[in-house]
Amino acid sequence: MLISWELLKNFIDIEPLELTPEELAERLTFSGSEVESITYTAGKMSGIVAARIDALETHPEDSKYLIAHLNTGTGEHVCVTSAKNMKKGDLVFYAGEGSVLPDGTKMGTRDFHGVQSFGMMLSAEELGLHYVDDPSGLLILPNDARPGDKAESLYHIGDVILDVSITPNRGDLLSHLGTAREIKGLYPKSILKTPEWLRPLKQDKEWSEDFGKISLPDKGCYAYRLGLATGAKIGGSPLTAKIDLAHLGMRPINNAVDVTNYIMLMLGQPLHAFDLNTLPSREITVRAAHSGEHMTTLDGKDRELTERDMLITSGGEAIALAGVMGGEQTGINDGTSTIVIESASFSPVRVGHTSRRLGINSEAAFRFARTVDPSLSKSALMAATTLMRDWCGAEVDYRPLSAENEIHEPKPVTLTRKKLSTYLSWDNMNEAVKILEGFGIKHVKGDGDERVFMPPTSRPDITIEEDLIEEVGRFRGYNDTEDRLPGEMPRRADIGETMRLSGFIRNTLMSRGYTEVLTYSFLPEDFPEKLRLSPDDLRAKPLTIANPISRDQTAMRTTLLPGLLMGLKTSVTSGWREPVRIFEEGRVFLRDGENSHTEPEHAAGIIFNGLDTRSPFGNRNDDFYSIKADIESLITARGYSPEFVSGHEPFTHAGQTADILVDGVKIGFAGRLKPAIEQELDVEGVYAFEIDVTGLSEARKPEFKPASSFPASFRDISLLVSIDKSNDSVMNDIRECVNESGNDDIVLEGLRIFDIYSGKGIPEGFRSLAYTLSYRSRNRTLTVEEVETLHNNVRESLKRKGYIIR
Amino acid sequence: MPEDINISTVRDSFRESLASAKSLQELDEIRVKFTGKKGTLTQLLRSLGKLPPEIRKSTGQELNTLRDEIEQSLELTGKKIRDTENENQEFSQRIDVTLPSKGRKSGAFHPVLQTMHEIADIMQGLGYSVASGPEIEEDYYNFECLNVPAWHPARDMQDTFYFPDGTLLRTHTSPVQIRSMLKYGAPLRIVCPGKVYRRDNDTTHSPMFNQMEGLLVDKNVPFSVMKGTMSEMLNAFFGKSLRYRFRASYFPFTEPSMELDIECVECSGHNPHCRVCHGTGWLEVAGMGMVHPNVIRAGKIDPDEFNGFAFGIGLDRMAMLKYGIGDLRLLFDGNVSYFMSGFGGAESC
Repeated sequence: MLISWELLKNFIDIEPLELTPEELAERLTFSGSEVESITYTAGKMSGIVAARIDALETHPEDSKYLIAHLNTGTGEHVCVTSAKNMKKGDLVFYAGEGSVLPDGTKMGTRDFHGVQSFGMMLSAEELGLHYVDDPSGLLILPNDARPGDKAESLYHIGDVILDVSITPNRGDLLSHLGTAREIKGLYPKSILKTPEWLRPLKQDKEWSEDFGKISLPDKGCYAYRLGLATGAKIGGSPLTAKIDLAHLGMRPINNAVDVTNYIMLMLGQPLHAFDLNTLPSREITVRAAHSGEHMTTLDGKDRELTERDMLITSGGEAIALAGVMGGEQTGINDGTSTIVIESASFSPVRVGHTSRRLGINSEAAFRFARTVDPSLSKSALMAATTLMRDWCGAEVDYRPLSAENEIHEPKPVTLTRKKLSTYLSWDNMNEAVKILEGFGIKHVKGDGDERVFMPPTSRPDITIEEDLIEEVGRFRGYNDTEDRLPGEMPRRADIGETMRLSGFIRNTLMSRGYTEVLTYSFLPEDFPEKLRLSPDDLRAKPLTIANPISRDQTAMRTTLLPGLLMGLKTSVTSGWREPVRIFEEGRVFLRDGENSHTEPEHAAGIIFNGLDTRSPFGNRNDDFYSIKADIESLITARGYSPEFVSGHEPFTHAGQTADILVDGVKIGFAGRLKPAIEQELDVEGVYAFEIDVTGLSEARKPEFKPASSFPASFRDISLLVSIDKSNDSVMNDIRECVNESGNDDIVLEGLRIFDIYSGKGIPEGFRSLAYTLSYRSRNRTLTVEEVETLHNNVRESLKRKGYIIR
Repeated sequence: MPEDINISTVRDSFRESLASAKSLQELDEIRVKFTGKKGTLTQLLRSLGKLPPEIRKSTGQELNTLRDEIEQSLELTGKKIRDTENENQEFSQRIDVTLPSKGRKSGAFHPVLQTMHEIADIMQGLGYSVASGPEIEEDYYNFECLNVPAWHPARDMQDTFYFPDGTLLRTHTSPVQIRSMLKYGAPLRIVCPGKVYRRDNDTTHSPMFNQMEGLLVDKNVPFSVMKGTMSEMLNAFFGKSLRYRFRASYFPFTEPSMELDIECVECSGHNPHCRVCHGTGWLEVAGMGMVHPNVIRAGKIDPDEFNGFAFGIGLDRMAMLKYGIGDLRLLFDGNVSYFMSGFGGAESC
């Protein structure tokens, strides 16, 4: 909301406060209405004065130009111009030599074919006033200006405009009147005033034209009033009004329309003026729209309506979407002389629904949705007709036509010392009464620890005790209150398993060389195709946003992998040639039946050796087994044993992928990226994993196993195995054979592969796997003989299983 | 005993040989020469029996003394030679310790998540537990329960992403307040960190960002405790005691509502050209207030019995302030070079 310092003076006497606009802005900001900027409208203007044209002659050399002799009260000045819209005796603004325009341009002397022009006469545009006047001609001043008067002191040219950000609960501050009342509350010594045009006007004449009935079958229209102005002459508004409107961001249109905009900015009441003769019928009905009914609004758009919308109709025809936007046909044109002014009051809920659903945020809808004081409809109408008289020369002493429904009256609110003291840690009730009365909230009852207040109609936001407390709080400010923590606080807080797990995951992966990233939860719509997910894969059916801002941020991620791959791509493209190891921990979003979804917590990582893998210690060569170690670190430290079995994912290398199982249940995958996808990303050798960490949130306690004090015996064994047989299954066979062959006293405490060999001496389709076994007893030292016997038994049973021992 | 070999000759000969010994091998040869099977000393000892009994004892003692001397000298010299050899070898095995480290070096934390964990830990110390809720949320929890009905202009403050079924991406972490009150009742002390979403995208707004909500509900909760809690949290996070100030504001779910500014963490208000506070000396960091009775009621708690306060802080903003990050959107593109340069270091080999 733009607020004019000059116009505020119509409503409040601020001079005695000796307040600067900056000081006021600070007070407003700290009490809840942030002042976003302060603009001095005169800018860098200096030395510009009013001047009378004493003589005007055509340039002897070039008839395009006129030579003006100007009187500024202090001397005569000669000025050449190409403008044509002035005559002898007119008053204009003159920027003499050495003067400065609002934009900082400094005036000099210019030669026009031998005639010296000292400075120039100004158009409205050159004064920084847009839309106020024809930019091609000079701004001709009303004849009340005196030659020599400074421009910035005339017609509000030198105003100060505050841009105030109004919170949605304070519709009353969307006007100069409301702002003045707020200032009165914040500065108790200031005195409110009533501008001349807001004084009561005698309006008792019957309408010159017959008008039927106003009916309000919809209770959402609290009041509807029409005022009449006859014999109006449509033209420009007074210069000061035009400049005021321009400063307040409103384009001057004509005097009749300007009146309605001006009153809205001054009082907060939206108004509509139209030519009586454009009304389809001399009757008004405000009713709920029928579901499916259509109307075309002022912006030419066809709107489909619901029963929550309200229509203003005349003779059965919709002329406006109540409180939101007018229809196409009613308006004011140059030939209008009989003007009807509409001033109404509507339910904020109804207007709010309509404006939000249709996306129309007109000045009227914006105000009605934030509540317009219902008592304003009467006074604003009277003020508007007064200005129609002053600005349009109309006759306005006609009695307004009115219809009213039930208007919600403010209800009393009680303030208790107890709550005041709890909420503000301050409890001076008498002081509180003074503060509240300053904001127009009347103390009506009680003088002890419970006092009753009646809010004014302009403050519908005050309905409960907390609202009163906030008024006191924002007047006093919150900075003086002590800050403290309770002395005794039972501290049983728990950051919880999810947070703890997440802390563990990031600590582990970071120390293993991964960098943590955070990528968007939404992905491009085609990510399932990019990952080659089959259509029946749950991950291929993401939830999609109905109103995305971009196509790249439409589908909710079902896997963390695309975000990581984008991170990889971004890193590499940005010139990073070193290894990329990144991980993310966060939610994915999966459909779960028709209307529900789940948000499981995932952790995923990728490693890439970098574009430049050279190193003095041999090339960097992280691969599947490196990423496997990372996953094992994550899972085993939580007390679980992961199992890796040959697996498949549509986006991973067919021969280098593992399913990760915990307690026999798949929790994720690890593997190399599918070469085709690597090629699309223009990188080679990317290894990835993704696991659902939900199952790991509760850490299992490690089981304590005391070390045996008796020595272990080590034996090696080398087996010839088909390349399709996995290391895990060979190890299982070895364990089984030990269990079968041994006696219960001796355990196979360790089993570890230490060599893999294929090539010379090994038949095609086979490989040689070498293991070392450690045997130990918990209660005695094993003899060489019994270890030999046991190990031979193991060898024999392995042979029986079909192994060839080398 | 042969006449021509006497003990002192053997001793002199041993000492002479030992003095010239340069390697362990030479030393071994000397050992064989004197104490080996056919060694000079061994032979002398063997011939001891042939000596007359009157000198046998004294000669035996002399020979034993010589044997001890030879053995000790051999050992001592052997140690010396070994030490020298080791020293030489160590010198030849010297390396350039300034070469880069080998293998993976640790990665880096994401500043926003680091901030989230730090603040959650601080709040745990103040007695707050962590609560969570879905990111795809119902209108009911995100707006209705928080005193923002469908027609309310406050909805303009938060432009929302919707799904076709009417659910939405939560615009703030506040719905977790309601869910937690319904789940745990009062008294209650929680923080809820997490991602939130709004339809905004420019240098100061990202469509996804991170918030942390705090909520305390108890009997007779005074405003001063909210102030104490906020300053405790911010001082702990920034690691210094900061000046702060409150500005009255408006949120539909709190009454009274206010915003909190802290002194500029970069310049403390001393630099009129500060890139962080733009010379104002203050930084806006949190919105808060006493919980609106309607919100308490939506959490199925009696507002006549319980009250409380709630606050919301932008974790991204906190991280940007603490770590001096300029553009919010850089935080979400996963570019490892950005984080490694800022929070890790050069990659090792």
